[in-house]
Amino acid sequence: MKFTLNIWRQKGPEERGRFVTYEARDVSSDMSFLEMLDSVNQGLIAKGEEPVAFEQDCREGICGSCSLVINGIPHGPDRGMTTCQLYMRRFPDGAVITIEPWRARAFPLIKDLVVDRRALDRIIQAGGYISVHTGGAVDGNVLLISKEQAETAMDAAACIGCGACVAACKNASPALFVGAKVSHLAFLPQGRPERTNRVKAMLEAVDREGFGSCGNQNECEAVCPKRISVRFIAILNREYLRAGVVESSLPAEPESPHAEST
Amino acid sequence: MELDSKIPPGPLETKWDRRRFTEKLVSPNNKRKITVIVVGTGLAGASAASTLGQLGYQVECFCFQDSPRRAHSIAAQGGINAAKNYQDDGDSVGRLFYDTIKGGDFRSREANVYRLAQVSTQIIDQCVALGVPFAREYGGQLANRSFGGVQVSRTFYCRGQTGQQLLLGAYSALCWQIERRQVTMRPRTEMLDLVMVDGQARGIVARDLVTGRVSIHTAHAVVLATGGYSNVYYLSTNASGSNVTATYRAWKQGAAFANPCFTQIHPTAIPPGDAHQAKLTLMSESLRNDGRLWVPTMRADHRCPGDIPDGERDYFLERRYPRFGNLVPRDLASRAVKAACDEGRGVGPGGHGVYLDFADVLGQQGLDVVRERYGNLFDMYQRITGEDAYQAPMRIYPAPHYTMGGLWVDYNLMSTVPGLFVIGEANFADHGANRLGASSLMQGLADGYFILPYTIGHYLATAKLTPVGEDRQEFRSALQRVMSRISRLLKVKGSRTAASFHREVGRLLWNHCGMSRNEEGLKSALTSIPALRDEFWRDVMVPGSGEAFNQELEYAGRVADYLEFAELLCHDALHREESCGAHFREEYQTDDGEPQRDDSRFAHVAAWEYREGTSPVLHKESLAFEFVQPTTRSYQ
Amino acid sequence: MALSGLGLVIYVIFHMLGNLQVFEGPLVFNGYAALLRDMPIPLWAARIGLLSLAALHIVLAIQLTSRNRQARPIAYAVREYRQASFASRTMATSGFVLLLFILFHLLHLTAGVIDPSSVDRPDVEGHRDVYGKVVHAFQNPFIVAFYLAGQLGLGLHLSHAVTSSLQTLGLEYVAFNRLFKAAGPTVALVVVLGNVAIILAIFLGLVRG
Repeated sequence: MKFTLNIWRQKGPEERGRFVTYEARDVSSDMSFLEMLDSVNQGLIAKGEEPVAFEQDCREGICGSCSLVINGIPHGPDRGMTTCQLYMRRFPDGAVITIEPWRARAFPLIKDLVVDRRALDRIIQAGGYISVHTGGAVDGNVLLISKEQAETAMDAAACIGCGACVAACKNASPALFVGAKVSHLAFLPQGRPERTNRVKAMLEAVDREGFGSCGNQNECEAVCPKRISVRFIAILNREYLRAGVVESSLPAEPESPHAEST
Repeated sequence: MELDSKIPPGPLETKWDRRRFTEKLVSPNNKRKITVIVVGTGLAGASAASTLGQLGYQVECFCFQDSPRRAHSIAAQGGINAAKNYQDDGDSVGRLFYDTIKGGDFRSREANVYRLAQVSTQIIDQCVALGVPFAREYGGQLANRSFGGVQVSRTFYCRGQTGQQLLLGAYSALCWQIERRQVTMRPRTEMLDLVMVDGQARGIVARDLVTGRVSIHTAHAVVLATGGYSNVYYLSTNASGSNVTATYRAWKQGAAFANPCFTQIHPTAIPPGDAHQAKLTLMSESLRNDGRLWVPTMRADHRCPGDIPDGERDYFLERRYPRFGNLVPRDLASRAVKAACDEGRGVGPGGHGVYLDFADVLGQQGLDVVRERYGNLFDMYQRITGEDAYQAPMRIYPAPHYTMGGLWVDYNLMSTVPGLFVIGEANFADHGANRLGASSLMQGLADGYFILPYTIGHYLATAKLTPVGEDRQEFRSALQRVMSRISRLLKVKGSRTAASFHREVGRLLWNHCGMSRNEEGLKSALTSIPALRDEFWRDVMVPGSGEAFNQELEYAGRVADYLEFAELLCHDALHREESCGAHFREEYQTDDGEPQRDDSRFAHVAAWEYREGTSPVLHKESLAFEFVQPTTRSYQ
Repeated sequence: MALSGLGLVIYVIFHMLGNLQVFEGPLVFNGYAALLRDMPIPLWAARIGLLSLAALHIVLAIQLTSRNRQARPIAYAVREYRQASFASRTMATSGFVLLLFILFHLLHLTAGVIDPSSVDRPDVEGHRDVYGKVVHAFQNPFIVAFYLAGQLGLGLHLSHAVTSSLQTLGLEYVAFNRLFKAAGPTVALVVVLGNVAIILAIFLGLVRG
């Protein structure tokens, strides 16, 4: 098989980018999309040219590294999978394929198809955790959790943090990413004590990072490699409203949880 | 070099308690003045960094990925073992200990393994508290399944994504400490050298992968949690970024490398296709519960599997191991598959594959049952191969998966270099010659949450640590070492890509130091590897510059280390003249092809010391079995 | 956004229901109009409330849109939508069409500026003959065309807006999620059908002066 690739090339964040056309020849239909790019790169390196930079690691759809917009859709034409799980037999021979990076102000470009997604980490750092110390945990069966609750929490927790939801959203909103984490922890009794502050802190971080806001178009759900449901965005909104109500009844200045360490 | 395992005396059950009591502690005021470097953010690294942060140390944490959450622990599917005995099916700390030490073919330390089994129960509680959504029963209790052929149900799981959920738990704990500014996180930063001052590990040299800047990081102790080295085989189930560089660099600075030849080959991966293939995908071990492995009895039989009548099929596992059949441990299954393919009876492209047939279970229990049990795996198989496993049998082939070998550590998880601690897959300690399923997650978290944070305190409280600055000669020269190596890689400007060398050394190792090894093959590998390495340094092509984001430069540096490390692997395999666990020497087998262990000569840990310009030097730590009696593993 | 929008939606529904009384004949319809006029304080309170709600909605929309545009400074060269509905992708356009239409509608039937040819005289009961005015208006094909276009904008806008608002307000329950999803298109359909029925009934001569 052979393909014509229009790939976004950009040397660095400050440089101007442009599309460059490459021909991928002798592609076997059993090759994965990333292996096809590998072979293009091997050709470039052998000629002494810089290969196309793109991100990948586990190549089995779980690490969330790969991040290509293929013909206008993050992770390409098939639903419920990452770029690394896409195989060339999915494309007709001779197809023209356009490859772009995730595009969002909060994801500044590093090189070619590689962007900086640390904004997502900073959102988690703002509150996407349960602050328990190592060693003090009670037995795992002390708090019973119904199967349905555990399964729903797991549905949300399946997020791999790839950022496709941001890439697909017209407004570059991470609502699905945040909703998944907030819902995961809100469905578990262990996550409840901190739920009020968590949702507020995480949404404040979203604003700080320069993401857009959710327009409920549900395009995120359609490209999510783990098929995370937009119902978790509704739960995020509910948690946020709830936090507003609860907060108004809290004492004005709660004691800082880290008073001792500062 | 002296190998002092520092195992506390006394009964097995109380060793760890006594060690924790006799250890010195660091006072809270002093902790905040102490910096610890943690390299790697998988289960071991993230759990260690977060716990050290909680304790009040200043932690500097490194990973080469763009986020700590992407470390390769995330890909573990099956589950995590713990001796909770929630099922009341006779499990206990003692039984988990015995299963692990027997599974490791009696090549691990009793004291370490016992401690691992003890700590296992705490891990589950800790993970639940962190919000890991383990599978639950209808009544709300934690669910278990049995895994890897053991007789009890002690494996906890989150669907097929246990590694992911455990890592996200540890990652969230890490995020809390980053928010509290106890941990400084440096993603996209790769450790390229270890720095020793006055014989102690006092820092690292790392390269910022975005800007290309190489910089010095000083600390009071260094923790390596950098995973295994299966990628030395080029094709493996590991993530493509997983590499040996950090542990290999530490080896060159004086840390002993133990049992590198213990590499686990997983039997059920999707077979390699064409030369472009970059990765092998694992199919869950659970498929062997219902699938039957077979090859045609005739060589080079190219008929469709459906056209081969039952009489002309060889169900080789059932034939060789009538008692366990298709459920024998990983090492035996892998070798049997390889043997069938070596006889020319393999199926699929290049004869690298055997059938894993579900026709019987499909016939007996119906399509729906099979779909419910394995639907996602069948889908994955179809996505990758384009074949429908409901219609025709799957083809599978073994793949390098996990490495039991690693840097030598004592009971306190400290290497032979004072101040250098090694945890998780990167050390050698707990799995002996073969790892049981669902044990790697357990070990990573045991080391990171519960063991290292105690033992490192003792070192920091007792070692004499003088203040060091970046301007010390040792740091300047380490920086120089790293910079000159980078510029050397860039200057070759040859004609071959780093990947082509990686593929070549991988194939060499796979053929001569893979699932079965022999003296002749190992010796020939030991002569071919240096030649290949010379060619690499003469003819590799690394485009671009060192002062920018340059993925090919990162990769070439890792390949250069594989080309040296491969030799160490072969030395170890050559020295171990016995067959044990994952290490199978063809000279040492019974008449019917079963491995022969030699406890009289090889009941030891082989720890290798680096010597510049000459072969590595072997040191032995003998393994004493006071509490269990080594027996022959028999599955026939 | 969601709250101001939902407020407007409720108004639009009652506006449609009230206007359906046109089918009851001039007496009922003019009586309804007179009833509203007889309560000047609630009427003006409602008018001011509605206007400020609409203004708030528009200001918020402009603010959000400009922020959202900033969130993606470089657009994709190739863009394909997989799930986002046509209505959801044209909210700004349909909103703008709606705004133009509302302005026209206010100038036309409330202020009477657009079509001075319509005569403002009392009916037999002495009420203002709003009925006659409406019937007169919708005999003009240009006005009918403009109103139908406005209804198209309204329908599109509502079909995404209602479901979207429920989502933003966190209304989520597994058993009801399909209901919430269907709410937008259903409300849009009902309101538009009601309004269009009035316009077409008059235009086709089914309702006469």
